Amino acid sequence: MALLRQSATLAGMSSIALVTIISSFLASAVEFVEAVTIVLAVGVTRQWRSTLLGVVAALAALTLLVAIFGTAIVLFVPINVVRLVVGGFLLIYGLQWLTKAVLRAGGARAKHDEAAIYEREIAELQAEPPVPATGMDWISFTVATKGVLLEGLEVAFIVVTFGASAGMLGPAAAGAAVAGALVLGVAFLVHRPLEAVPENALKFAVGVMLTGFGTFWAGEGVGIDWPAGDATILALLAGYAVLALVGVYAVQGRLANRRLRVTAASPEH
Amino acid sequence: MRYVRSFFGFWYDFLVGDRPELFVGPIAALVLAWLAVRAGVPAPMTAGLLFVLVATVGGSSIAWAMRE
Repeated sequence: MALLRQSATLAGMSSIALVTIISSFLASAVEFVEAVTIVLAVGVTRQWRSTLLGVVAALAALTLLVAIFGTAIVLFVPINVVRLVVGGFLLIYGLQWLTKAVLRAGGARAKHDEAAIYEREIAELQAEPPVPATGMDWISFTVATKGVLLEGLEVAFIVVTFGASAGMLGPAAAGAAVAGALVLGVAFLVHRPLEAVPENALKFAVGVMLTGFGTFWAGEGVGIDWPAGDATILALLAGYAVLALVGVYAVQGRLANRRLRVTAASPEH
Repeated sequence: MRYVRSFFGFWYDFLVGDRPELFVGPIAALVLAWLAVRAGVPAPMTAGLLFVLVATVGGSSIAWAMRE
Protein backbone atom coordinates (compact mmCIF):
# COMPACT_ATOMS: atom_id res chain seq x y z
CA MET A 1 0.00 0.00 0.00
CA ALA A 2 2.81 2.36 1.00
CA LEU A 3 4.67 1.39 -2.16
CA LEU A 4 1.56 2.13 -4.23
CA ARG A 5 1.15 5.56 -2.61
CA GLN A 6 4.86 6.29 -3.09
CA SER A 7 4.72 5.40 -6.79
CA ALA A 8 1.53 7.48 -7.18
CA THR A 9 3.34 10.46 -5.59
CA LEU A 10 6.33 9.94 -7.89
CA ALA A 11 4.04 9.70 -10.93
CA GLY A 12 2.27 12.88 -9.79
CA MET A 13 5.62 14.66 -9.35
CA SER A 14 6.89 13.62 -12.76
CA SER A 15 3.62 14.61 -14.46
CA ILE A 16 3.81 18.06 -12.78
CA ALA A 17 7.44 18.35 -13.92
CA LEU A 18 6.37 17.45 -17.44
CA VAL A 19 3.50 19.96 -17.45
CA THR A 20 5.87 22.58 -15.98
CA ILE A 21 8.37 21.97 -18.79
CA ILE A 22 5.64 22.07 -21.48
CA SER A 23 4.03 25.24 -20.08
CA SER A 24 7.37 27.01 -19.73
CA PHE A 25 8.40 25.82 -23.22
CA LEU A 26 5.20 27.08 -24.90
CA ALA A 27 5.10 30.42 -23.07
CA SER A 28 8.79 31.03 -23.75
CA ALA A 29 8.50 30.01 -27.41
CA VAL A 30 5.84 32.69 -27.96
CA GLU A 31 8.01 35.39 -26.37
CA PHE A 32 11.18 34.24 -28.16
CA VAL A 33 9.37 34.41 -31.53
CA GLU A 34 8.54 38.07 -30.77
CA ALA A 35 12.13 38.79 -29.68
CA VAL A 36 13.56 37.10 -32.78
CA THR A 37 11.42 39.34 -35.03
CA ILE A 38 13.06 42.44 -33.50
CA VAL A 39 16.57 40.94 -33.62
CA LEU A 40 16.18 39.94 -37.28
CA ALA A 41 14.88 43.38 -38.22
CA VAL A 42 17.86 45.08 -36.52
CA GLY A 43 20.44 42.64 -37.87
CA VAL A 44 19.20 42.74 -41.46
CA THR A 45 18.77 46.54 -41.52
CA ARG A 46 21.88 47.57 -39.58
CA GLN A 47 24.81 45.52 -38.24
CA TRP A 48 24.79 41.87 -37.14
CA ARG A 49 27.82 42.04 -34.82
CA SER A 50 26.38 44.80 -32.59
CA THR A 51 22.92 43.19 -32.72
CA LEU A 52 24.23 39.81 -31.54
CA LEU A 53 26.26 41.49 -28.78
CA GLY A 54 23.03 43.15 -27.66
CA VAL A 55 21.29 39.75 -27.61
CA VAL A 56 24.11 38.23 -25.55
CA ALA A 57 23.99 41.14 -23.07
CA ALA A 58 20.22 40.78 -22.65
CA LEU A 59 20.40 36.97 -22.24
CA ALA A 60 23.15 37.35 -19.61
CA ALA A 61 21.04 39.87 -17.68
CA LEU A 62 17.99 37.56 -17.85
CA THR A 63 19.94 34.48 -16.71
CA LEU A 64 21.26 36.48 -13.77
CA LEU A 65 17.74 37.68 -12.88
CA VAL A 66 16.28 34.15 -12.95
CA ALA A 67 19.21 32.75 -10.96
CA ILE A 68 19.07 35.46 -8.28
CA PHE A 69 15.29 35.85 -7.87
CA GLY A 70 14.44 32.20 -8.52
CA THR A 71 16.97 30.88 -6.02
CA ALA A 72 16.17 33.56 -3.44
CA ILE A 73 12.44 32.84 -3.62
CA VAL A 74 12.89 29.05 -3.47
CA LEU A 75 15.41 29.19 -0.60
CA PHE A 76 14.19 32.01 1.64
CA VAL A 77 10.43 32.43 1.23
CA PRO A 78 8.03 29.94 2.91
CA ILE A 79 6.31 27.75 0.30
CA ASN A 80 2.77 28.85 1.27
CA VAL A 81 3.67 32.51 0.83
CA VAL A 82 5.36 31.70 -2.50
CA ARG A 83 2.27 29.85 -3.67
CA LEU A 84 -0.08 32.65 -2.65
CA VAL A 85 1.92 35.59 -4.03
CA VAL A 86 3.54 33.94 -7.02
CA GLY A 87 0.45 31.85 -7.80
CA GLY A 88 -1.59 35.05 -7.59
CA PHE A 89 0.67 36.76 -10.12
CA LEU A 90 0.50 33.67 -12.35
CA LEU A 91 -3.29 33.78 -12.16
CA ILE A 92 -3.41 37.50 -13.04
CA TYR A 93 -0.93 37.08 -15.87
CA GLY A 94 -2.63 33.93 -17.20
CA LEU A 95 -6.05 35.56 -17.18
CA GLN A 96 -4.65 38.51 -19.17
CA TRP A 97 -3.21 36.14 -21.80
CA LEU A 98 -6.37 34.04 -21.91
CA THR A 99 -8.88 36.90 -22.27
CA LYS A 100 -6.75 38.50 -25.02
CA ALA A 101 -6.48 35.11 -26.77
CA VAL A 102 -10.27 34.63 -26.58
CA LEU A 103 -10.87 38.11 -28.05
CA ARG A 104 -8.33 37.43 -30.83
CA ALA A 105 -9.73 33.98 -31.63
CA GLY A 106 -13.25 35.43 -31.68
CA GLY A 107 -12.21 38.18 -34.10
CA ALA A 108 -12.70 41.13 -31.72
CA ARG A 109 -9.00 41.94 -31.55
CA ALA A 110 -6.32 42.00 -34.24
CA LYS A 111 -4.17 38.88 -34.35
CA HIS A 112 -0.46 39.13 -33.70
CA ASP A 113 1.20 39.48 -37.11
CA GLU A 114 4.98 38.94 -37.01
CA ALA A 115 5.40 39.94 -40.69
CA ALA A 116 3.70 43.32 -40.07
CA ILE A 117 5.75 43.91 -36.91
CA TYR A 118 8.93 43.04 -38.84
CA GLU A 119 8.11 45.54 -41.62
CA ARG A 120 7.30 48.28 -39.06
CA GLU A 121 10.59 47.67 -37.18
CA ILE A 122 12.56 47.86 -40.44
CA ALA A 123 10.85 51.13 -41.43
CA GLU A 124 11.66 52.65 -38.00
CA LEU A 125 15.29 51.48 -38.13
CA GLN A 126 15.81 52.88 -41.63
CA ALA A 127 14.86 56.31 -40.30
CA GLU A 128 17.77 56.17 -37.78
CA PRO A 129 21.26 57.67 -38.51
CA PRO A 130 23.43 55.43 -40.76
CA VAL A 131 25.55 52.56 -39.37
CA PRO A 132 29.11 53.73 -38.52
CA ALA A 133 31.75 52.46 -40.98
CA THR A 134 33.87 50.95 -38.19
CA GLY A 135 33.30 49.83 -34.60
CA MET A 136 30.15 49.34 -32.62
CA ASP A 137 26.68 50.39 -33.84
CA TRP A 138 25.05 51.41 -30.58
CA ILE A 139 21.58 51.70 -32.13
CA SER A 140 21.68 48.00 -33.14
CA PHE A 141 23.01 47.06 -29.71
CA THR A 142 20.41 49.09 -27.80
CA VAL A 143 17.37 48.06 -29.85
CA ALA A 144 18.36 44.35 -29.76
CA THR A 145 19.12 44.45 -26.01
CA LYS A 146 15.86 46.26 -25.24
CA GLY A 147 13.77 43.94 -27.42
CA VAL A 148 15.23 40.72 -26.04
CA LEU A 149 15.21 42.05 -22.46
CA LEU A 150 11.55 43.14 -22.57
CA GLU A 151 10.26 39.94 -24.21
CA GLY A 152 12.68 37.88 -22.11
CA LEU A 153 11.44 39.46 -18.88
CA GLU A 154 8.08 37.78 -19.52
CA VAL A 155 9.91 34.47 -19.97
CA ALA A 156 11.88 35.09 -16.76
CA PHE A 157 8.66 35.97 -14.93
CA ILE A 158 6.96 32.75 -16.08
CA VAL A 159 10.02 30.58 -15.31
CA VAL A 160 10.46 32.04 -11.83
CA THR A 161 6.75 31.93 -10.93
CA PHE A 162 6.20 28.45 -12.36
CA GLY A 163 9.44 27.08 -10.98
CA ALA A 164 9.01 28.57 -7.51
CA SER A 165 5.34 27.58 -7.10
CA ALA A 166 5.85 24.00 -8.20
CA GLY A 167 9.29 23.80 -6.59
CA MET A 168 10.64 23.00 -10.05
CA LEU A 169 12.86 25.87 -11.12
CA GLY A 170 15.15 23.47 -13.04
CA PRO A 171 12.44 21.95 -15.30
CA ALA A 172 10.88 25.41 -15.89
CA ALA A 173 14.25 26.88 -16.87
CA ALA A 174 14.98 23.84 -19.05
CA GLY A 175 11.67 24.30 -20.91
CA ALA A 176 12.50 27.96 -21.58
CA ALA A 177 16.07 27.15 -22.65
CA VAL A 178 14.90 24.50 -25.13
CA ALA A 179 12.30 26.93 -26.54
CA GLY A 180 14.95 29.64 -26.90
CA ALA A 181 17.42 27.31 -28.62
CA LEU A 182 14.72 25.97 -30.97
CA VAL A 183 13.33 29.37 -31.97
CA LEU A 184 16.82 30.88 -32.43
CA GLY A 185 17.95 27.84 -34.41
CA VAL A 186 14.96 27.94 -36.77
CA ALA A 187 15.25 31.72 -37.18
CA PHE A 188 18.97 31.33 -37.98
CA LEU A 189 18.14 28.75 -40.65
CA VAL A 190 15.20 30.51 -42.33
CA HIS A 191 16.58 34.02 -41.75
CA ARG A 192 13.18 35.71 -41.67
CA PRO A 193 10.38 36.26 -39.09
CA LEU A 194 8.70 33.05 -37.93
CA GLU A 195 5.24 33.76 -39.36
CA ALA A 196 4.30 30.09 -39.56
CA VAL A 197 4.37 29.66 -35.77
CA PRO A 198 0.72 29.52 -34.62
CA GLU A 199 1.36 32.28 -32.09
CA ASN A 200 -2.28 33.00 -31.27
CA ALA A 201 -3.13 29.33 -30.69
CA LEU A 202 -0.03 29.01 -28.50
CA LYS A 203 -1.08 32.05 -26.47
CA PHE A 204 -4.51 30.51 -26.00
CA ALA A 205 -3.00 27.26 -24.69
CA VAL A 206 -0.50 29.08 -22.48
CA GLY A 207 -3.26 31.33 -21.11
CA VAL A 208 -5.25 28.25 -20.07
CA MET A 209 -2.17 26.69 -18.46
CA LEU A 210 -1.09 29.80 -16.55
CA THR A 211 -4.65 30.44 -15.32
CA GLY A 212 -5.10 26.80 -14.25
CA PHE A 213 -1.78 26.57 -12.43
CA GLY A 214 -2.21 30.05 -10.95
CA THR A 215 -5.63 29.10 -9.55
CA PHE A 216 -4.20 25.89 -8.08
CA TRP A 217 -1.10 27.38 -6.42
CA ALA A 218 -2.80 30.57 -5.21
CA GLY A 219 -5.71 28.44 -3.95
CA GLU A 220 -3.26 26.33 -1.93
CA GLY A 221 -1.75 29.57 -0.68
CA VAL A 222 -5.08 30.74 0.78
CA GLY A 223 -5.55 27.33 2.39
CA ILE A 224 -7.79 25.45 -0.06
CA ASP A 225 -7.42 21.69 0.28
CA TRP A 226 -8.04 20.70 -3.35
CA PRO A 227 -10.41 17.70 -3.44
CA ALA A 228 -8.31 15.52 -5.78
CA GLY A 229 -4.88 16.84 -4.80
CA ASP A 230 -2.52 17.57 -7.69
CA ALA A 231 -4.92 15.89 -10.14
CA THR A 232 -7.22 18.91 -9.65
CA ILE A 233 -4.83 20.83 -11.92
CA LEU A 234 -6.02 18.73 -14.86
CA ALA A 235 -9.68 19.43 -14.00
CA LEU A 236 -8.93 23.18 -13.74
CA LEU A 237 -7.12 23.17 -17.10
CA ALA A 238 -10.01 21.30 -18.74
CA GLY A 239 -12.58 23.62 -17.12
CA TYR A 240 -10.82 26.83 -18.23
CA ALA A 241 -10.23 25.43 -21.74
CA VAL A 242 -13.94 24.64 -22.17
CA LEU A 243 -15.01 28.05 -20.82
CA ALA A 244 -12.48 29.83 -23.05
CA LEU A 245 -13.83 28.02 -26.13
CA VAL A 246 -17.37 28.97 -25.10
CA GLY A 247 -16.05 32.54 -24.78
CA VAL A 248 -14.69 32.43 -28.35
CA TYR A 249 -18.09 31.31 -29.69
CA ALA A 250 -19.85 33.99 -27.63
CA VAL A 251 -17.54 36.71 -29.00
CA GLN A 252 -18.04 35.46 -32.57
CA GLY A 253 -21.82 35.37 -32.08
CA ARG A 254 -21.88 38.88 -30.67
CA LEU A 255 -19.78 40.25 -33.54
CA ALA A 256 -22.05 38.51 -36.08
CA ASN A 257 -25.13 40.04 -34.41
CA ARG A 258 -23.50 43.47 -34.45
CA ARG A 259 -22.70 43.13 -38.17
CA LEU A 260 -26.29 42.07 -38.87
CA ARG A 261 -27.65 45.10 -36.99
CA VAL A 262 -25.31 47.44 -38.92
CA THR A 263 -26.34 45.87 -42.23
CA ALA A 264 -30.04 46.14 -41.33
CA ALA A 265 -29.64 49.80 -40.33
CA SER A 266 -27.72 50.78 -43.49
CA PRO A 267 -29.71 52.96 -46.02
CA GLU A 268 -29.65 50.30 -48.80
CA HIS A 269 -31.81 48.00 -46.68
CA MET B 1 12.82 60.38 -9.76
CA ARG B 2 12.30 59.80 -13.49
CA TYR B 3 13.86 56.31 -13.19
CA VAL B 4 11.67 55.44 -10.19
CA ARG B 5 8.57 56.55 -12.11
CA SER B 6 9.54 54.59 -15.21
CA PHE B 7 10.39 51.53 -13.06
CA PHE B 8 6.92 51.54 -11.46
CA GLY B 9 5.35 52.45 -14.80
CA PHE B 10 6.95 49.38 -16.36
CA TRP B 11 5.61 47.05 -13.64
CA TYR B 12 2.18 48.70 -13.79
CA ASP B 13 2.04 48.07 -17.54
CA PHE B 14 3.40 44.56 -17.05
CA LEU B 15 0.92 43.45 -14.40
CA VAL B 16 -2.10 45.72 -14.74
CA GLY B 17 -1.89 46.92 -18.34
CA ASP B 18 -5.04 48.17 -20.02
CA ARG B 19 -7.43 45.91 -18.07
CA PRO B 20 -7.26 46.75 -14.33
CA GLU B 21 -10.18 44.39 -13.60
CA LEU B 22 -7.89 41.46 -14.45
CA PHE B 23 -5.54 42.60 -11.68
CA VAL B 24 -8.12 43.49 -9.03
CA GLY B 25 -10.56 40.65 -9.86
CA PRO B 26 -8.28 37.67 -9.14
CA ILE B 27 -7.07 39.32 -5.91
CA ALA B 28 -10.69 39.83 -4.80
CA ALA B 29 -11.46 36.20 -5.75
CA LEU B 30 -8.54 34.99 -3.63
CA VAL B 31 -9.64 37.14 -0.67
CA LEU B 32 -13.16 35.66 -0.90
CA ALA B 33 -11.74 32.14 -1.12
CA TRP B 34 -9.54 32.83 1.91
CA LEU B 35 -12.59 34.09 3.85
CA ALA B 36 -14.49 30.92 2.85
CA VAL B 37 -11.61 28.75 4.11
CA ARG B 38 -11.52 30.71 7.39
CA ALA B 39 -15.30 30.36 7.77
CA GLY B 40 -14.96 26.58 7.51
CA VAL B 41 -16.77 26.17 4.17
CA PRO B 42 -16.16 22.57 2.92
CA ALA B 43 -13.09 22.23 0.65
CA PRO B 44 -14.93 21.15 -2.55
CA MET B 45 -17.23 24.19 -2.26
CA THR B 46 -14.31 26.57 -1.68
CA ALA B 47 -12.46 25.08 -4.65
CA GLY B 48 -15.56 25.45 -6.83
CA LEU B 49 -16.08 29.01 -5.57
CA LEU B 50 -12.54 30.06 -6.58
CA PHE B 51 -12.94 28.50 -10.05
CA VAL B 52 -16.32 30.20 -10.59
CA LEU B 53 -15.00 33.58 -9.36
CA VAL B 54 -11.94 33.46 -11.62
CA ALA B 55 -14.10 32.42 -14.59
CA THR B 56 -16.53 35.27 -13.80
CA VAL B 57 -13.68 37.81 -13.72
CA GLY B 58 -12.41 36.58 -17.10
CA GLY B 59 -15.89 36.51 -18.63
CA SER B 60 -16.75 39.99 -17.34
CA SER B 61 -13.50 41.41 -18.71
CA ILE B 62 -14.26 39.93 -22.15
CA ALA B 63 -17.81 41.34 -22.01
CA TRP B 64 -16.47 44.81 -21.11
CA ALA B 65 -13.89 44.64 -23.88
CA MET B 66 -16.67 43.81 -26.35
CA ARG B 67 -18.73 46.80 -25.22
CA GLU B 68 -15.80 49.24 -25.70
